[in-house]
Amino acid sequence: MANMVKKANAFEILNHWVMAVSFIILAATGFGFLFHLEQLNSIFGNFNAMKLWHNWSGVVFAVSLFFTIFHYLPVSLSLGSDDIAWISKAGGYFSKKAVVPPQDRLNTGQKLLYLIVLTVGTAIAVSGLIIWLRPAAADIRKWVLLSHLVHNIGFVLMVTIIPLHIYLATLANPGTFRIMVYGTVPLEWAKKRHAKWVQKMGF
Amino acid sequence: MTNHWIDVKNADVILVMGANPAENHPISMKWIMQAREQRGAKLIVVDPRFTRTASKADIYAPMRSGADIAFLGGMINYILKNRLYFREYVANYTNAAYLVNPDFKGPGQLDGIFSGYDEKTRKYDKKTWAFQLDEKGLPKKDMTLKDPNCVFQLLRKHYSRYTLDKVSAITGTPKEKLVEVYKTYGSTGKPNRVGTELYAMGWTQHTVGTQNIKAMTIIQLLLGNIGLAGGGINALRGESNVQGSTDHALLFHLLPGYLPASKASLVDLKTYIEKLTPKTKDPKSVNWWGNRGKYITSYLKAIYGGNATKDNDFGYAYLPKLNEGQNGSWLVLFDQMFKGKFEGFFAWGQNPACSGANAGKVRKALTTLKWMVNVNLFDNETGSFWKGPDMKPQEIQTEVFQLPCSSSVEKEGSLTNSGRLAQWRYKAVEPIGEARPDSEIMNELYFRVKKLYQKQGGKFPAPIINLTWNYGEKGADGKIKKLDIHRVAKEINGYYLEDVFDKKAAPPKQIGKKGHLATNFVTLQADGTTSCGNWIYSGSYTEKEDKVINMMARRGKKDIGGLGMYPEWAWCWPVNRRILYNRASVNPAGRPWDTKRAVIKWNPNKLDPKTKKPAPGWDGDVPDGPAPPMADEKGKYPFIMRADGMGAIFGPGLADGPFPEHYEPLECPVQENPLSKKHRINPTVKLFYGTTGPHDEPKKEGGSAEDIFYSCDIRFPYVATTYRVSEHWQTGVLTRHEPWQMEMMPQQFVEIGKELAAEKGIKNGDKITVSSGRGKVWAIAMVTDRFKPFKVMNATVHQVGLPWCFGWQYPENGSGGDSANLLTPTIGDANTLIPETKAFMVNIEKA
Amino acid sequence: MSRKALVISPELCIGCRGCQTACKSWNQLSAAKTTNKGTVENPPDLTPNLYNKIRYVEVPSESNPVRWLFVSQRCMHCDDAGCMKICPAPGALFKTKEGAVGFDKEKCIGCKLCVAGCPFNIPRYDEKDKITKCNLCSDRIAEGLEPACAKTCPTGAISYGDRNSLIGKAQGAGYQKLYGEADLGGLGVLYAFKDAPKVYGMEENPAIPESVIFWHKVLKPLAYWGLGGAVVASLVHYVAFGPKKDEEVK
Repeated sequence: MANMVKKANAFEILNHWVMAVSFIILAATGFGFLFHLEQLNSIFGNFNAMKLWHNWSGVVFAVSLFFTIFHYLPVSLSLGSDDIAWISKAGGYFSKKAVVPPQDRLNTGQKLLYLIVLTVGTAIAVSGLIIWLRPAAADIRKWVLLSHLVHNIGFVLMVTIIPLHIYLATLANPGTFRIMVYGTVPLEWAKKRHAKWVQKMGF
Repeated sequence: MTNHWIDVKNADVILVMGANPAENHPISMKWIMQAREQRGAKLIVVDPRFTRTASKADIYAPMRSGADIAFLGGMINYILKNRLYFREYVANYTNAAYLVNPDFKGPGQLDGIFSGYDEKTRKYDKKTWAFQLDEKGLPKKDMTLKDPNCVFQLLRKHYSRYTLDKVSAITGTPKEKLVEVYKTYGSTGKPNRVGTELYAMGWTQHTVGTQNIKAMTIIQLLLGNIGLAGGGINALRGESNVQGSTDHALLFHLLPGYLPASKASLVDLKTYIEKLTPKTKDPKSVNWWGNRGKYITSYLKAIYGGNATKDNDFGYAYLPKLNEGQNGSWLVLFDQMFKGKFEGFFAWGQNPACSGANAGKVRKALTTLKWMVNVNLFDNETGSFWKGPDMKPQEIQTEVFQLPCSSSVEKEGSLTNSGRLAQWRYKAVEPIGEARPDSEIMNELYFRVKKLYQKQGGKFPAPIINLTWNYGEKGADGKIKKLDIHRVAKEINGYYLEDVFDKKAAPPKQIGKKGHLATNFVTLQADGTTSCGNWIYSGSYTEKEDKVINMMARRGKKDIGGLGMYPEWAWCWPVNRRILYNRASVNPAGRPWDTKRAVIKWNPNKLDPKTKKPAPGWDGDVPDGPAPPMADEKGKYPFIMRADGMGAIFGPGLADGPFPEHYEPLECPVQENPLSKKHRINPTVKLFYGTTGPHDEPKKEGGSAEDIFYSCDIRFPYVATTYRVSEHWQTGVLTRHEPWQMEMMPQQFVEIGKELAAEKGIKNGDKITVSSGRGKVWAIAMVTDRFKPFKVMNATVHQVGLPWCFGWQYPENGSGGDSANLLTPTIGDANTLIPETKAFMVNIEKA
Repeated sequence: MSRKALVISPELCIGCRGCQTACKSWNQLSAAKTTNKGTVENPPDLTPNLYNKIRYVEVPSESNPVRWLFVSQRCMHCDDAGCMKICPAPGALFKTKEGAVGFDKEKCIGCKLCVAGCPFNIPRYDEKDKITKCNLCSDRIAEGLEPACAKTCPTGAISYGDRNSLIGKAQGAGYQKLYGEADLGGLGVLYAFKDAPKVYGMEENPAIPESVIFWHKVLKPLAYWGLGGAVVASLVHYVAFGPKKDEEVK
């Protein structure tokens, strides 16, 4: 039996899935609103109900996004020359022979992904709240229009990036998915893909 | 109106002065705008305030409230000086050519009064106002209009004093604006151009109200605008059926059809008829009032039926009689009530606590009553007067009965509008709760009073007990179970009580069959063989070929010459004649002055529709009598309701002068009348508070404190006026209960000019107090450019205005405010006593 | 069915506000408790119970103390309606066959985006956040009747009819171009202005907000392209490069 090391704790895993599920609901209902997809009525009943699902999923998403700060922000902000090198090699995804520098608990791609998800996610959440709660202000129409723009730009970015994230976290990098199921990975696997982290952790 | 609403679209120039139709008669704006859009008509608005009507005007002339005669006098002067008058019309159709008593003198010679004035009685001896008569007893005439004693020259002399400078100094209207108005309106003196004038309370509610209108009548006669389509002198009545109410004599001095009310000195019917029937010696004058006897007799037969016979003078003794000089008009009535002379009072479909001038005095007057009956859709400031502000309920002994009545859609009947058009209305819904139509309330009241009289006797039961009151099926007790309004309408129309013959024809021709509805007033008789409740409505509910027709219910859309007369739509009095005095719309040969807008036209080749034999007659509107044109030997003069058949430029019948003369309102901003050193105010008005001194100032202890007035007094330095608003109806009794209307117009406001607001430190929207000698009200200040200060006699005069549609009783928290009439004075017109609520003095302060 | 429209002529409007009351009467809208703030204009703004309001506009005048214009404010029933464009709920805002923009409170989800998307700031929402506005009396016009406001107007300042004939009639009355003839695909409520629109308090060139246009033209298609592109790119990558197996990582 291989040696297993813990890469993600239970809270991180639960939080990730809460975020993922809420994101799926948000994206699907978002598409529903954008393109008047009445087929979704077979799932939600009507658009009034769908709005409730969208808005409250948004709350759930925002809360789970908040908790991710504790899980991913510190490591994502520690960017250095190794991350630049990773980027210049495109993470090694466009060559069978590419070699990337040793990676931290999150690799550069994962760090970038997180930073994008955090900013865009926050922007979507805030703009969504403005549209939903419509605070009293003299020029609220202007703010609603700006929020509408931000919310939709964010949406486009998210529905482009998340499928890539799913691919990279599953098919493209075998052995990754189990992190979000069991929370553990084989030590050898970790030594190859997250050498810096292994070293720091002293496994 | 001499004309009618739709006719306004036929005018080339429309003068709106003393009215604000865009707000108060919005439907009329349809025709005004049509005239502008379709025939390029010019709209002139003269008003102290830039109103919603002014916003649509081609010319707006600002004018201080109470200066109308100065303004119009200036116009008369301008028309005469610039020869804009229609000479042929003036010479042939008016009394311009008549010679007046050479002893006649005017205000120019007598410093503000006409000859014959008695200072003690405040009345005129009109001897010097009489016309010179020839050997036939007819007025002497000078058809060249040059004789210095002829009306035309007296007119010229009188109004030569109304120079542009003088008029501008009195009215506050810039000279250029005066000329612009005069020139534009004066252009209708041409035969093919016509002008109409629309007025309302802005003209009538002054101490010189009647003369305001008279001044315009003179202008219309000078320009040849009376009797023509698009012309006339047109009152915009203040309520949808007030025309009906005056027609049916709700005023103290009338009987239905404008017959004079009787007085004690007219001891019998013969005397009444003799003394009150105008006579003429001129065979060419129709003098239609010469038929007075037929109408009073038919009226008595209508109301007293079988109880009115030749033997009892047709029940003439039953008619109420006024004492000599007795006046029962509004101001006098409430003054009497204030002095405790009334036990009871029916406030029937009105709200005197808000609508009466000097409303505070009215409210105090109500406290003296033993009982009051308030008949209305809603409770109001009158019915609940004892709960009002400044009232001490524990000291008030009045018992108030509130009787809910139906609205106009909850009952059937006719409404007569300003254009004399009586239109039948239907019942749309049942009244709610215990509300009943007024007619049923009256019916109930009548039978109970009758029963009391029958049981207990009394001072004079006969006039009540003997009324026919045949308005429905009577029960065993003699009471009508359900009042049929159609029977009332038929009684008003009249019946032939016997077979009636035209005795002038040979052989006598039958003109009426016993028991049938009368055809029209031409067939009414003075011998008791006909009945008619109101002669001017005879023909409104009649029979044609034995079929009963409610003419007022007709809705035919055929027109005459595109003039909007619609002779088959409903029915107007008299005899469905749409334009009065239309014989003046043609020349003496019977050809229309204006062929494009021909009202009537003499057709010598006309054929009788039945016999197909030649029967020369008139085409078009119902002519003012079938007689041939004036020039024909059998022809008649056009003004058939006047004894001499002529339009009166010189009008000796009015109390305050044969020519309108400018006098200042009781409360005004100048110390003396710019036209007279001796007479500031109308010298014949009834004073409720004594005046003294050279400037008619209030006397010390001149009367009740409630009637005090202040003129040219620094305590009340601003001219004020009152008006209605589109969004509310009269005192607001109905509309204050209508949330959609209250949403638009929730509170009492006062419009003040920006200059005055700056002086007083008042901002738009501030709550301020408006006060006068009589009382005060709070109002929201609307600071606006629409009131601009006037330059009057070299002084700056500010004017403000407020509506009278609010009252303390509703909304219940008083948030709407109270009526502007708490400010208005106790004074009225010299002829009608209509209160002068359109010009008085106030002060304004931040609340 | 040819497109129907209203023409509003401030030059004929006398500010009587019969139209305000008639609209409330037909639509059975309730009234608000208001106060007089120094103007006859009341209520101060459109509300969920006030679809049509007269604005009292005072502008300087050379010959008079003021020039007083009465301008009706209400839904413009645009052909290219900003409210419909931004609305996420199908059927909440819809075009009737006469060309009016109607609303359905049941289908409305209460997001209130239309309030921001309307170039004229017209839609209002009620206490349940549901959108409400003039619907051109769609029930009346469906039966061949005219809207309540047009029927009530005494001077014809509001006139209803076939859009093309109304434009023709106005041109005949001397109005070369009506406000709204071409804007936003052609407005369903046209104004006969004698002067520049800004004199009457109206936008010179009304347009749907730029951000909404951008969103509609660019962002919406990008959403599909982005999602689809990402999926396709992943597939292509997997085929071309395959997974990064452990053996390959150094």
